[in-house]
Amino acid sequence: MQTDDDFGPRRYQVRHRTTYTYSDDVTGCYERGFLAPRATPAQRVVSNDVRIVPEPDLVATHVDHFGNRSYYVEVRTDHRVLEVEKTSIIEVDRPRPDLDALDRWTVADAAEWARVAADPVLRVDHLLPTTLVSHDDEVRSYAAAILPPDRPLGQALRGLVGTLHRDFTYRSGATTVRTTLPELLSQRAGVCQDFAHLALGCLRSVGLPARYVSGYLETTPPPGAERLEGADASHAWASVLVPGPAAGTWVDLDPTNDQVADSRYLVTAWGRDFRDVSPLKGVVFTEAATSTLEVGVDVVRLDA
Amino acid sequence: MTATPDDAIAASPLEDYRHRVTTRPGGRDGAEVPDEVFRAGGASQDLVAAAVGALGMSGLLTARAEARRLIDADGIRYGAAEDGGQARDWIVDPLPVVLGSAEWLSLERSLEQRALVLDAVLGDLYGARTLLRRGVVPPEVVLGHPGFLRQADGIRLPGRRQLVLTGTDLGRDSDGNWVAFGDRLGAPSGAGYAMATRRITSRLLPGLHRSTRLARMRPFFHTMTHALREAAPVGVHNPQVVLLSPGSGSETAYDQSFLATLLGFPLVEAEDLVVREGRVWIRSTNRSDAVDVVLRRVDADFADPLELRPDSRLGLPGLLEASRRGTVAVANPLGAGVLENPGVAHFLPAVSRALFGEEPALPGASSYWCGDPAERSHVLAHLQELVIKPIARGRSISARPGWELTAEERELTRRRIEAEPWAWVAQEPLTMSTVPVVTPHGLESRRFVLRTFGVARGEGYHFLPGGLGRVAPDEASYLIANAAGALAKDVWVLASDETGTSWSDDRLLDLRPPLASEDAAALAPRAASALYWVGRYAERAEATARVIRVVDDLVEDHASWPGTPGAAAVQVMVDGLLAMTSTTGRSGAEPPDQVLRRLVGDQRRPGSVAFAVAGLVRGAQDVRDHLSYDIWHVLNRIERALDDEPAEDRPLQPQLYRVLESMLAVHGVIAENMVRDESWGYLDGGLRLERALLTTALVRAAVAQERPPIIDGQVTEAALEACDSIITHRRRVATGEGPAWPVHSAVELLLRDPANPRSVAFSVERLVERFQLIGAPVLAAEGAELLALFRDMDVDRLCADDRSGLLAACDQVTQSLRGMSDRLTASHFRRKPTQQVVPADWAVARIGDT
Repeated sequence: MQTDDDFGPRRYQVRHRTTYTYSDDVTGCYERGFLAPRATPAQRVVSNDVRIVPEPDLVATHVDHFGNRSYYVEVRTDHRVLEVEKTSIIEVDRPRPDLDALDRWTVADAAEWARVAADPVLRVDHLLPTTLVSHDDEVRSYAAAILPPDRPLGQALRGLVGTLHRDFTYRSGATTVRTTLPELLSQRAGVCQDFAHLALGCLRSVGLPARYVSGYLETTPPPGAERLEGADASHAWASVLVPGPAAGTWVDLDPTNDQVADSRYLVTAWGRDFRDVSPLKGVVFTEAATSTLEVGVDVVRLDA
Repeated sequence: MTATPDDAIAASPLEDYRHRVTTRPGGRDGAEVPDEVFRAGGASQDLVAAAVGALGMSGLLTARAEARRLIDADGIRYGAAEDGGQARDWIVDPLPVVLGSAEWLSLERSLEQRALVLDAVLGDLYGARTLLRRGVVPPEVVLGHPGFLRQADGIRLPGRRQLVLTGTDLGRDSDGNWVAFGDRLGAPSGAGYAMATRRITSRLLPGLHRSTRLARMRPFFHTMTHALREAAPVGVHNPQVVLLSPGSGSETAYDQSFLATLLGFPLVEAEDLVVREGRVWIRSTNRSDAVDVVLRRVDADFADPLELRPDSRLGLPGLLEASRRGTVAVANPLGAGVLENPGVAHFLPAVSRALFGEEPALPGASSYWCGDPAERSHVLAHLQELVIKPIARGRSISARPGWELTAEERELTRRRIEAEPWAWVAQEPLTMSTVPVVTPHGLESRRFVLRTFGVARGEGYHFLPGGLGRVAPDEASYLIANAAGALAKDVWVLASDETGTSWSDDRLLDLRPPLASEDAAALAPRAASALYWVGRYAERAEATARVIRVVDDLVEDHASWPGTPGAAAVQVMVDGLLAMTSTTGRSGAEPPDQVLRRLVGDQRRPGSVAFAVAGLVRGAQDVRDHLSYDIWHVLNRIERALDDEPAEDRPLQPQLYRVLESMLAVHGVIAENMVRDESWGYLDGGLRLERALLTTALVRAAVAQERPPIIDGQVTEAALEACDSIITHRRRVATGEGPAWPVHSAVELLLRDPANPRSVAFSVERLVERFQLIGAPVLAAEGAELLALFRDMDVDRLCADDRSGLLAACDQVTQSLRGMSDRLTASHFRRKPTQQVVPADWAVARIGDT
């Protein structure tokens, strides 16, 4: 259960290690990914360290279309194992969003507010369908029941998170990157990415701009059990733009865990869907017949 | 005899045409359809009348046939040979379309204005996006278009313009005014075809072309060369520009390679490039050349598998990062395709007013954007009268004339528009002018589209005078697309002081590279390998044909006298030929003349002349930009000669002579028309190595075995004749200069004589020189060692006894030559390893309509 303690200042170390192993030499490797946490009003990056073996020929960064720091890595030393590890120290202080206060507006009000007052580029970028977040009839009708125009906004958002959590089972391996939202809706099981994509489809189809957030969540081992090293995983959730001062406020919703994001949620990057913020993808030149990918994530609270 | 009215019409094809266009019904809306020949103030009439008058209908039809012949000979093709499709010959109508200089100058100014507005839009969309924020262009039109590449956000070309190249399709409205109804801005194609078309018509109508003062096309390509070099990153002194092609299987492969030749830039594929430390380089064995400008003909979403379509094999991982870092300028920039968007075109007048305070001088097609509720209801109420266009062309959704839709399709379109109104535009159909085309039924009228080409240089844009004219495949059609069988029209712009004439004659292919040859780009392994094999196949085709010719003579003389020494000699030579061409498995029952026929014409049989020619042509197509233009005519002649297979009862010799004649011409082109640079080094090196190998094989088969003297003599003479050395042999025998024994003479002349261009030693000596030229010193040393073997040869000893010494020497030479070829392949023709995507899941990501 989420407690007040989960909101408030904290300090974390996040270690994310990706290891590719190939059955033959790789002679050239080009990678793109997000190898640093994103600085946000609720999140300060104290330090970030990227270690790549073998030594890359070039590591370069730029700020992408969505404001994320994106990394380009070039490794031209022959290798059969590539290891990319980032270690970040992050301070988070995420206040609890006041959902009750959002009940001042209905879903329709919020959509109209976005149409009139939000930045047009930001709004349209986060309303249009994408490859992974389609607005098929199935999505529209599922959303219509949860987010009717006259429903108070705070209740509607709470309802969306709760309904998704209730209707869908979390099951790894239930979906692939090719699973469509209508397929997800019929099979009623998926992983956090699917929960987030469906939430986005629902929000956007009723006119609420929403984005996909990629990051981490601190997990607590069952009482008495020890924390297992590397047992954590990347996480993904949705964020919706609601009326607020100036250009509005983003509220982070986690349908996988039936709650709003608190200080245990650490942000790496955001975009329109998974494809905009894929953590690490690469193109390699090799005759290797097989390759394996291993990912280890540790989220450790430093000030506990 | 009194002329009937029909005769009168037949006697005057242009009057017949006038009758056709003046009595036809109006356009779709009943409006008058202008014709390029007869419209008031048009410039075509006099010249077209002159052409028609001079040639008459039968002359025009001959010109039409001649156009086909020339196109076939030049190998001008359109369409993808891959994907089960078939590349077809380009089709050119002999009659040009003529534009007056005043009309063209004014059109050029309007096109420049349009280009400047589009350039400003492009700069804004990948920068501040003020046009979207201020609502001048609704954000959906851009952000919902798949051509808007968020990955390219913030990337700017260093030069003054973001839009380097333009392509705009124009047609006339019923008042005869030009209307821009489509822009090709992602990777505009067709300028090469326009120039190729000009070269054809100028040969069809040489007198008219010479006597008319035309604005020439060549200067535009010179401007383009300079403009692209100037697009290089700041501080680059001698910029390297490459034309990045999807490959010789691409639809517009001819256009790409011809353009590369016209511009003097190397034609490369992704395989030829590599990104190192955020810069693009040409992959080459000996040196590394940085690439400063990429003239891109690979579609944007295929251009970089790291950031765009991961399944693309046509792109270069890191290209986007290199352009982001500003180490390379990509023209047009990745993401320019968003401007190929009827939604953007719809708002161009508003942009022009907002940014420049100007009304566009060149109107676009009048259109409606369905994102606007009022315009949407107009569109939905008039679906049958409008051309319905999605803002993004896709595989499943394309522009359709509303009047062609079935009731069901109309309903589907309506629902699609209602679901995503912002994604749809509807255009009023354009009347479009007509032009006459030559057909067996006289001059018929066809709708005419003009694609114009521009390039940014300095303050403004320069345009190819005229452009590429295309006409619909039949009289009724409005659909003008190459894929739908459109014909090309040459477009002549009359010269004035302002359009300028120029020293350059479009008929002459002034292909002097704009750069000195020492500045030539490094040669990538793919091209090096293709050139090497062009050389090897060229020599293989010739040598095989030579031996077949000699054997065929022997067969003629002796085959019908079994049991004679002559017949035995035939047997030896046929077996030798089979060994030389590595063709085995000759069925014993097959008569020698059948074997020979198949060794000439059977393209599926490795070792045949036809097989080697096919390899030669394929290789040449892959390195078109390295070869003399003349080679295509010659290759075309060889292919025709091989196609003319003589009937079973007809002799083989005439065909062989035709093939050999053309092969000599191929060697002539290689020897006389190619600069002695690296490219030639690979080609001639391949040729020399192949000649050394085949001559050695021939000597081995014919001479390196003891036979009864009478057979030996015949066989040896045949080998000498096949290697064009028989005359030298006889002269030397007559003057007592050389060995008296034919066998000794053959070994001397064919193996070790350094002065005989047909000898193995001569070939190896040249090979050593080529190895030096292409930067292969180790192989050159190896070749030099082989040369020493020839110098030290004791001919008497080799020819003694059972000639086992000769056999061993031949085997040693063969082994050494093969080894050198293998090592050259390993060191100089290294392909990139297979490109893979990790994690693999990324590669299977769903690809939408693009």
